Amino acid sequence: MLNAIFKLKCTVNGVKIERDLDSSRTLLEFIRVDLGLKGTKEGCGEGECGSCLVLVDGKAVNSCLMMAVQLQGRELTTIEGLKGREGGLHPLQKTFMEEGAVQCGFCIPGAIIAAEALLRENPRATSEDIKRGLTGNFCRCTGYEKILSAVEKSKSCR
Amino acid sequence: MSNIKYCSFPVTPKAALAELLSRKNEALAVAGGTLAAKTLPETTVNFVELKNLPLNYIKMRGPDLVIGAMATFDDIDNSKLVGSWAGGVISTAAARCSSQLIRNMATIGGNIARPHSFNIFPAVLLGLDAKVKILCKTGVKTCAFSDIYLADFKFRPGRDCLILEVVIPGKTRNWTCRFEKFAKTEASWEAYLTLFMAAEINSGSMNEIRVAVGALSPKPFRARGAEKVLAGAELSAGVIDAAVVELERDMDVVRASEFKKEVSASLFRRFLEVL
Repeated sequence: MLNAIFKLKCTVNGVKIERDLDSSRTLLEFIRVDLGLKGTKEGCGEGECGSCLVLVDGKAVNSCLMMAVQLQGRELTTIEGLKGREGGLHPLQKTFMEEGAVQCGFCIPGAIIAAEALLRENPRATSEDIKRGLTGNFCRCTGYEKILSAVEKSKSCR
Repeated sequence: MSNIKYCSFPVTPKAALAELLSRKNEALAVAGGTLAAKTLPETTVNFVELKNLPLNYIKMRGPDLVIGAMATFDDIDNSKLVGSWAGGVISTAAARCSSQLIRNMATIGGNIARPHSFNIFPAVLLGLDAKVKILCKTGVKTCAFSDIYLADFKFRPGRDCLILEVVIPGKTRNWTCRFEKFAKTEASWEAYLTLFMAAEINSGSMNEIRVAVGALSPKPFRARGAEKVLAGAELSAGVIDAAVVELERDMDVVRASEFKKEVSASLFRRFLEVL
């Protein structure tokens, strides 16, 4: 049996879009397959690792846990939508590079999205707040220290 | 592979219930949606998204604290009103649910409607004598949380009825409470054990006592033996010892493993000793 086609209207990285959507798609599949935005990664596929994080209406969510139809009327920001003031690298992207917080890089889009959501809500986040905000992000390479220091450093660059 | 044919976004509880009832076992009500994509039943034909329902609120009604079914764990964690209730135990429990990412999505209504032994709120709501307001075919009803959650689902939230709000009775406002979650990591969804303890001491004796244990069995349970020892008693080392022994016996009913009994006993003793 074929799934129904759903008419999705939403905003993706600041651009309003209207798409025909297979209603059984997860948000992650929609982002990677339908929109071709490959920055969002699939890790565990069940909401444990944080690799697939995106912002929906400004809140960080696991895109593997959301159905794409749930995006109806909402605003999606993926890692591709984060930019600095002059359109260059976002402050978090810069500090991640400066601090050497990126090794294999697979988890980094998710970590940056989690940090961005945290700092938007609490620009003066303490190191404890940062640790707590990133508890849903797994990184198998860096040992976290450099990620935490990159987020800490980016507070002053925002 | 699911076969979703219809997606609806009702804006009133009545319309949402009508959607659910129109395709009874083929409709799936989705609140926060943390389990929807993960465990979407193949029979789901009608996807009923509840996010537009006006049920995301936290407020006082008379002496009671009322939490709308669509309030997320994050909303509850950050609510000053909830934080001031019973020593902030409901906020503490909300904050112990998995990671921030899950707390942004998961709702209190969903935590009741999709029963799971690891769910955070059932033990808390059981211990706080909470009530749940639901909308069903015959209208709005208010039931004890225990009747909704512990009974064999006379009402099936998200199938043939809809949870509207959770009511925490005003009598619990000044109770001394503690919530403990024992898990692999702070962000683990799976808990080995959840323990909710509440007490109110009046003129030196225990006026109210609640001990609810979660994550050991499909549904949480009250440690009635331990509660019986403490009810009306004046706290002393002997009474505490006897209550701890009873708690371990209460846990035998679900054949709890030794380490879980020991952890519970320590946490319970710690709670009683600082009262």
